Amino acid sequence: MIARAWGPAVLGLFVLAVVMSFFNFEISKWQWMLNGVVFFGGAVVFTISRGMTFFVVKRLFETVFVVWMIASLTFILLRVLPGGPFDSEKALPPEVLANLAKKYHLNDSVPKQYLDYMVDLLHGDLGQSYKYIGRDTSAIIAESLPSSVQLGIYALLISYIVGIPAGVLAGWKQGSKTDFAAMFLAISGVSLPSFLMAPIFIMVFCFWLGWFEPALWEGPGYYVLPMVVLGLRPAAVIARLTRASVLEVIHSDYIRTAKAKGLDSRTILFKHVLRNSLIPVLTLSGPLAAGVLTGSFVIEQIFAIPGIAKHLVLSVTNRDYPLILGTTLLFSVMLVIANLVTDFLMAVIDPRVKMI
Amino acid sequence: MKTKQEGRSLQEEALEKLRKNPVAVWSAILIVFICAVALLAPWISPYPFDEQYLDQVLAKPDARHWFGTDSLGRDMLSRLIYGARISMAVGVITALISLVIGTIYGAVAGWFGGFVDSGMMRIVDILDSIPSLVLLILVKLIFDSVDIISNPELKALTGMLLALSLVSWVSLARVVRGQILQMKQMAYVEAARAMGASGLRIVSQHILPNIVGPVIVLLTFQIPSNILSESFLSFLGLGLQPPFSSWGVLANDGWRSLKSYPHLMISPGIAIFMAMLAFNLLGDGLRDAFDPQMRGRSG
Amino acid sequence: MRLMVVMVLVALTAACTGKSSHLEYGLDVKETMRVNLLSEPPTLDWSKATDTTSATVIFNIMETLVNYNLADPELPPIPGLATDWTASEGARIWTFNLRKGVKWTDGTEFIGQHVVDGWERMLNPATASEYAYFLFPVKNAKAFNAGKIKDFKEVGIKINDQGQVVVELEKPMGYFPLLLTHHSTCPIRKDTVAKFGDKWTDPKNIQTLGAYALKVWDHDKNIVLERNENYYGEKAKIKNVLAYMINEYSTALNLFESGKLDFQETIPFKELPQYKNRPGFHSVPSLSLWYMGFNVRKPPFNDVKVRKAFSLAVNRKQVTDLLNGGHTPLTSWVPLGMFGYEKEIGTKFDAAKAAAMLDEAGYKDRTKFPKVSLALNTNENHQRVAENVQAQLKKNLGIDIQVVNEEWKVYLNRLHNDTPSLFRMGWLADFPDPDNFMNVMTSYSDNNYTGWKNKHYDELIEAAASSLDKEKRREIYKEAQKLLTETEVPVVPVFSDVRPILLSERVQNFPLNSINRWILKGVSFK
Repeated sequence: MIARAWGPAVLGLFVLAVVMSFFNFEISKWQWMLNGVVFFGGAVVFTISRGMTFFVVKRLFETVFVVWMIASLTFILLRVLPGGPFDSEKALPPEVLANLAKKYHLNDSVPKQYLDYMVDLLHGDLGQSYKYIGRDTSAIIAESLPSSVQLGIYALLISYIVGIPAGVLAGWKQGSKTDFAAMFLAISGVSLPSFLMAPIFIMVFCFWLGWFEPALWEGPGYYVLPMVVLGLRPAAVIARLTRASVLEVIHSDYIRTAKAKGLDSRTILFKHVLRNSLIPVLTLSGPLAAGVLTGSFVIEQIFAIPGIAKHLVLSVTNRDYPLILGTTLLFSVMLVIANLVTDFLMAVIDPRVKMI
Repeated sequence: MKTKQEGRSLQEEALEKLRKNPVAVWSAILIVFICAVALLAPWISPYPFDEQYLDQVLAKPDARHWFGTDSLGRDMLSRLIYGARISMAVGVITALISLVIGTIYGAVAGWFGGFVDSGMMRIVDILDSIPSLVLLILVKLIFDSVDIISNPELKALTGMLLALSLVSWVSLARVVRGQILQMKQMAYVEAARAMGASGLRIVSQHILPNIVGPVIVLLTFQIPSNILSESFLSFLGLGLQPPFSSWGVLANDGWRSLKSYPHLMISPGIAIFMAMLAFNLLGDGLRDAFDPQMRGRSG
Repeated sequence: MRLMVVMVLVALTAACTGKSSHLEYGLDVKETMRVNLLSEPPTLDWSKATDTTSATVIFNIMETLVNYNLADPELPPIPGLATDWTASEGARIWTFNLRKGVKWTDGTEFIGQHVVDGWERMLNPATASEYAYFLFPVKNAKAFNAGKIKDFKEVGIKINDQGQVVVELEKPMGYFPLLLTHHSTCPIRKDTVAKFGDKWTDPKNIQTLGAYALKVWDHDKNIVLERNENYYGEKAKIKNVLAYMINEYSTALNLFESGKLDFQETIPFKELPQYKNRPGFHSVPSLSLWYMGFNVRKPPFNDVKVRKAFSLAVNRKQVTDLLNGGHTPLTSWVPLGMFGYEKEIGTKFDAAKAAAMLDEAGYKDRTKFPKVSLALNTNENHQRVAENVQAQLKKNLGIDIQVVNEEWKVYLNRLHNDTPSLFRMGWLADFPDPDNFMNVMTSYSDNNYTGWKNKHYDELIEAAASSLDKEKRREIYKEAQKLLTETEVPVVPVFSDVRPILLSERVQNFPLNSINRWILKGVSFK
């Protein structure tokens, strides 16, 4: 019952947010918090309502553990990494270095730094950036995350919108020219690094056709190219997966039975094949989101989008420890939650999953 | 269910199926061709890959330099041929390393189950949830700064292999573990167990042969994704040490100049594209041949 | 329901959807100069800023006590907030007269105490300003920064009864006013800083004195400046400046091509041929130096003959031809465009002499020469130069060296802790005085990685720095440079850099200068 109300609620909120963002309406903090609460809370409540409280609690604990381990691992890797935040082209005199070390507690022993960091983290304090002097890591994240999320959602959306129909069509008409063409395009989509794809798209759509803007992030005309280039790979993956999954369902016994019963093929496609074949696609959403996150660095760089993936890379170059830790943790938490929710939903759909 | 002997015949059957799939056959031929080019690089490349012809900097393709020259006047065709070496080596070696680690890890976790399994799987979870971008960069940087290997080119190559393997073995481990979990419950395995066969024996004699199919398929998909990752590292500026070239290094050198010097981007682009296409199509063919049930599992 | 679920999963990332992006902040293109800053300025707090991006913004919104005459290639100091200055006690005590009637953006009158406040803040150990050392020549400034002196009154800056700023230095320094052209020495509003803490540089809080005022700072995206109507001098000609932060040059060039930028300052040499003949293209020499250093503590470079042989074997002209951007070949330490530059100083390319010199050093059998690598930080241009040097050494000396590049911070770490036997480094002028360059190689300099220490050189540099006599200084620098680049050769200067700049066709009166100070107040549109 909850599912009946929950699905449309999340969908409605989501569609509203996407449409608003595309046309540059301000979306309030409350709106996205509501989105998050409805979405994540819903998944938890929903799973518990199916009598899987233990599973939910166990997975939540595991998640906390995983996030803690990631924070620790990143912390350690950073201390092993040579070069410090204040090594610069012009060497600083010892007096100045001493002041900096004191300000940022760089002279404390590593275990103490680690403990301090963990305590701060528990209080929700990610610390101040070393590079962007005086700015809180959390503020930097809050300011750069929205553009990235926007880009990521557009890319994922477009990949689902293109990928699923293409895959279904190809699978339904297995062996036809449509199938071959769709699959060839899909494989081509994963065959070129995005930093080669982007310049080609810019060349064609900006300089030859003049349809879109070559860079920046200021409105619908600016969104199209980055989201298409970023969405290309997930779209291809989804299309191939959907096709395979459709084929599997088509060859299964109950579809054969349905066919034997004389149901018309349209009904079979929409009522049975589609529904059953989208489950594997669903399980892939976590890794897909991860891929989009990683890929967005290239896109943000090439299209000059003020997003967070850039910080993920630049902060390492700058040895901006708090910012590296902050962004890494954020990305990890997003991935962990994506996987967690997938797990919950899968557990509900297919109880056997619990074992794996 | 499938025994070892049947497994063999299954593989023969798969090969037979593969042979009848023209797309897969052509892909395989292309891959063999690329490998041959890579192996024969010193004999077939028209110029040394690092010789600078300073009077012919950034030449457009012509009779002397079929694919033009780069910004230091080095012959693009030769660099591309030598690049095939590095790119293929990175793709194949990384895939093999992650195969070994992933199979052993997944097999151990799957076979022992219980606490061992959940402990080992948490580690996999952690590696899966760290953004691979950060892990790649950190591991590569740390390795590059350690003076274990004095030869700089070799050092950069080893660092890249390590970093890429570290992020790619996880998916293999998951698949192998899943397969083993499934097979553990199968009748013949339980029978072998009941007859007192040791765990190692069961795993190596009964289970591993049966997962060869899925693993080969995964491997075929892993190689192109490694080649892509290598080019991504080059984009980040963490690629190989020049003057050595790989397709990723060349592509990264060229993409910014699409308008002014298209030849710098087009030739490595086509090389990467063709290799990716061939590996992916062959992978599809293999998957269909080995086990239609496996379709789509690896994405 | 399952179809729903698919959408829901997508909605995961949708949990937080983006805020809207403004369209150009309602600016009018005809009244807006659109520039590319290349990156987000790390800070606009001028006591703490260390990088060129921040400096570019700060110099447009803030005013220094002393300015450069950007129209004069030698960049002599001219009055800024200080109208004039006098030196006494052989340039140890400096007295500055301050401009009257200057107002901050909120209307508050500018007074000498603001200068003192700025210096106190910068030197305060708790501020942890990286450029604090800029003021170390001031009496007791170093001790105050190190926390040895707690009372700022002991530091050598005072406001006297006539409202003049009186600075007492540790020892005489002839070019001291040049230090006051740096943004870190700007006055500051203590009350603003105290009130807003780290947030005092936000557009709504900041108080400035420059020709432009900070209107918008949209992090990682844009900065908008607006003409400051309170400015004491001639008001800015263009009403607004819209700054982008695009660090991918191909992207920036794409935007320039589509008419969205008026100013772009990074063009890779590969693309130069395309832009070279355009009307808005300028190649501006930069007061900078690209050099190779030897680690003189270890063989083979503890032998001066080997060092000389290397320096003789590098044809600088070939390097700059390769770079193809109008770079100046350099054999002297002081770069072209600066007082003290002499073309004739330094070891000139001579392959035969180089080979003979290496023979003399005992390496007639070249196979006996130890294995040497040239270390550098990962960068396309550095790599290109290094590979060419590698080829030249092989040809002219018969020596195989390896080129090893490392990521910037790893590289810096290595320079400090385990200096490679041969390394590349650079220097970019902080102010246009030769002392800024010559000081790098003194025995007490933190930037001297070579391990080369020479007492006579140190004495020469100190003598020149304390002198007010231009001709005397010129002679001393000549002698010191000869010692450095001809006699002792711990370093091999190779070239000085140029900055390729693109201006859109409507831009006029852009102050092109060799210290890369892009002050936009005088710029106008056709």
